[in-house]
Amino acid sequence: MGLSRCREVQWTVDLSRREVIRGALATGASVALAGCGSHSDAPRIAGGDPWRQFKGATLNFISENTAPTAAIAANLRPFTELTGINVSIVTLELSALVQRVALDLASGQAQYQVIYADPYQVLAPYQKGLVDLRGPQSDPNLPDLPGGLADFIPTQLDAAGRFVDRQAVYALPYDAPTMIWQYRRDLFDKYRDRMANDLGFDPTPGGDRTWEEYFQIARWFNENATSDVRYGTGHQARQHDSLMNDFSNVLWSYGGDYFDNGKEVGRLGTTDPGPCRLGSEAAIAGAEFYNRLLGIADPASTTWDWDGVGAALRSGRLAMCPNWHEFAASNEKAMPGKIDYAPLPKGPVGTANMYGGTGIAISANTLPHERGAAWLFLVWSTSPETQLTNLKSKAGGGTPTRTSVYALPEVRAAEHRPSSMPNMLTAAAVREAWQPDRIGLRPKIPMWNECNTAVFTQLSRMLTGATSPQEAMRSITSRVDQIVARGWVA
Amino acid sequence: MTKIAQSSPGLRRSWPEAPSEPRIRFEGKMMLPGLILLAALSILPFLALVAMSFSRVRLLGGVRLELVGLSNWVRSFTDADMWMSWLRTIIYFVLTVGLEMVLGLGIALCLYRVLRGRNLLLGLILLPMFVAPSIVGLLGRYLTDSTFGLYAYVLRSLGFTGDILGSPTSAFAAVVLMDVWEWTPLIALISLAGLSSVPQSVREAAAVDGASGWMTLRFIIFPAISNVLLVALLIRSMDAIRYFDIIWVTTNGGPADATKIVPIRLYETAFRFFDFGYAAAIGLTMLAFSILIARAFVRMLDTRGLTR
Repeated sequence: MGLSRCREVQWTVDLSRREVIRGALATGASVALAGCGSHSDAPRIAGGDPWRQFKGATLNFISENTAPTAAIAANLRPFTELTGINVSIVTLELSALVQRVALDLASGQAQYQVIYADPYQVLAPYQKGLVDLRGPQSDPNLPDLPGGLADFIPTQLDAAGRFVDRQAVYALPYDAPTMIWQYRRDLFDKYRDRMANDLGFDPTPGGDRTWEEYFQIARWFNENATSDVRYGTGHQARQHDSLMNDFSNVLWSYGGDYFDNGKEVGRLGTTDPGPCRLGSEAAIAGAEFYNRLLGIADPASTTWDWDGVGAALRSGRLAMCPNWHEFAASNEKAMPGKIDYAPLPKGPVGTANMYGGTGIAISANTLPHERGAAWLFLVWSTSPETQLTNLKSKAGGGTPTRTSVYALPEVRAAEHRPSSMPNMLTAAAVREAWQPDRIGLRPKIPMWNECNTAVFTQLSRMLTGATSPQEAMRSITSRVDQIVARGWVA
Repeated sequence: MTKIAQSSPGLRRSWPEAPSEPRIRFEGKMMLPGLILLAALSILPFLALVAMSFSRVRLLGGVRLELVGLSNWVRSFTDADMWMSWLRTIIYFVLTVGLEMVLGLGIALCLYRVLRGRNLLLGLILLPMFVAPSIVGLLGRYLTDSTFGLYAYVLRSLGFTGDILGSPTSAFAAVVLMDVWEWTPLIALISLAGLSSVPQSVREAAAVDGASGWMTLRFIIFPAISNVLLVALLIRSMDAIRYFDIIWVTTNGGPADATKIVPIRLYETAFRFFDFGYAAAIGLTMLAFSILIARAFVRMLDTRGLTR
């Protein structure tokens, strides 16, 4: 009897425990489902100020950790005051960004509504996951782009914003880093006459110089100016995307290219680029020169990406280097008045300056009101006013992607020292570099990431002496052909 | 209590109406939540990985698998670059684990002889172990930087003209040494624990019998701590096969692929090229390799009766 009662009591206790556990499980499951399930759209207030119709919305913007985004992040208040929209910015290293964006697009949810869309690593492979911006642009309820699409530099709009289709626009040009020749003006002034006497040509950097002359200038510094700098030239030749960028400038100027019709493949992109052409005589000649050039460059070049070579120039270790023009602001901070800029030298065929610009896009997974709010952010962040503010920003600042900004009197005045917008010191050089026949555009194909890895890995092997330039080019060709043949599924 | 009730014949006789043996016994019910959790965390992802290795994975519009048969597996066994990565992984594995075992044991033997301040010394020696591997990589990168790195400066003053992370051999040696620097203390700690368990009386008996230092080490100490060393070896081996952070931070697999071991290639395939099918095949091969190594060690422990 006693035992039976005891069992009854225990049974009662068990029941209540089960209820508690069931309740807890149900609560947990509903919380988890709520977390995993579809999120609700942003609120919208119809009528009134079109800039404030999505007041209260929150946007997440995922970006590479670049100077323009640092400037935007430091200057978000005007946007929030204008629209009532809060923006959270997540900045990451580029490969981490690509990974997050790909997984976010795969999830079917737009955790990141606004995306920093690298043309080669995000736009080309995941174009179907991005909104065609002609939609919001033509929506009468949404504000227009000031100056329209025509105000963007045309080559940049195509390279950073379009993919295959000449009409569709998936991203607005957001930044425009371009590789140019960066050199120690003070040292060139100091040694100009001696160099000219020894080398037999005017060494002043500019579009008329050739890569062969660049090589001779670098070697001259190695041999004659070691009290001022350790090496004449340094390069971003680490086994990394940077090596492909650095090499491509030489490749194109020697007449080589990755694929047939390379300019078009770079500007608009394609899903089927055809056979790789790096096995050509011109490409091999370019590789041979690049190998020779790196032979006299700072040996640490094979460990540097763009940040490494930029830091080396600013530390006074190098006399010159090719690097992205957006480093001008930090150069001017470290060595005021000592570093100047020119377009990259030319080769036997012409000149090419690698363009590394990126667009800003909207995830196709966004809900309608979120999409509207994201459009407002795109319009604001690429507007001439914001680009001008970014140029002046102490937090960094990129360079404008709109022609109207370059035409402003205060911006033109900043092209010369003393300059309140130090990135504008590169304006003359990049203006030349952005000419359609001089801009260097790498292939915009969905499988570029893997092709790029094959390119810089084999180049790295060439630079360490493991393989000859000829073998390296042929090896890249066969690997790229294999990758392209496998195709791409997104 | 329940167990006693079920196993006692007397109690069973008093409740003839008791239901027959339940399909899931009490122990099973207790283990069920854990098993469900384990399935959610390990078994289901494993099965998904197996399915992915026979498929091409589409991401946009939700993850979808398209069956491609054995092509990912064929590719992983015919890819010359993959075989080179395996070779590098094995060399790396032998070098790191070998150096860590030798140095760790050496440090433990030295520490064992120190009577005063042993704890302080041990604390200092263990410090690298508490640093996150990615931070070790960053530290190594700065120390070997040719502009401002201390090690680069020291090597330059000794006549080394190259760049440590710039040439294949020195870069490989550098990442091996960074791992050795971080994980030798763990081996030292485990070995020291083993040494402390060797009975003092046995050592004294050896000394009375006139055994030299080497003989004591060879015939007394090593046999006594060999089981502990085997466990240390197992722990480090499992870790060394999955080594990733330091290489990713310092060399990114370069120069000339000299430090591209299998985990780096796996990451690259999955999260740079988004070729999840091929990455799944590589991952499963790595898993099989890890299991083989672990089985070898466990079998050794088993023969010594240490797994029971």
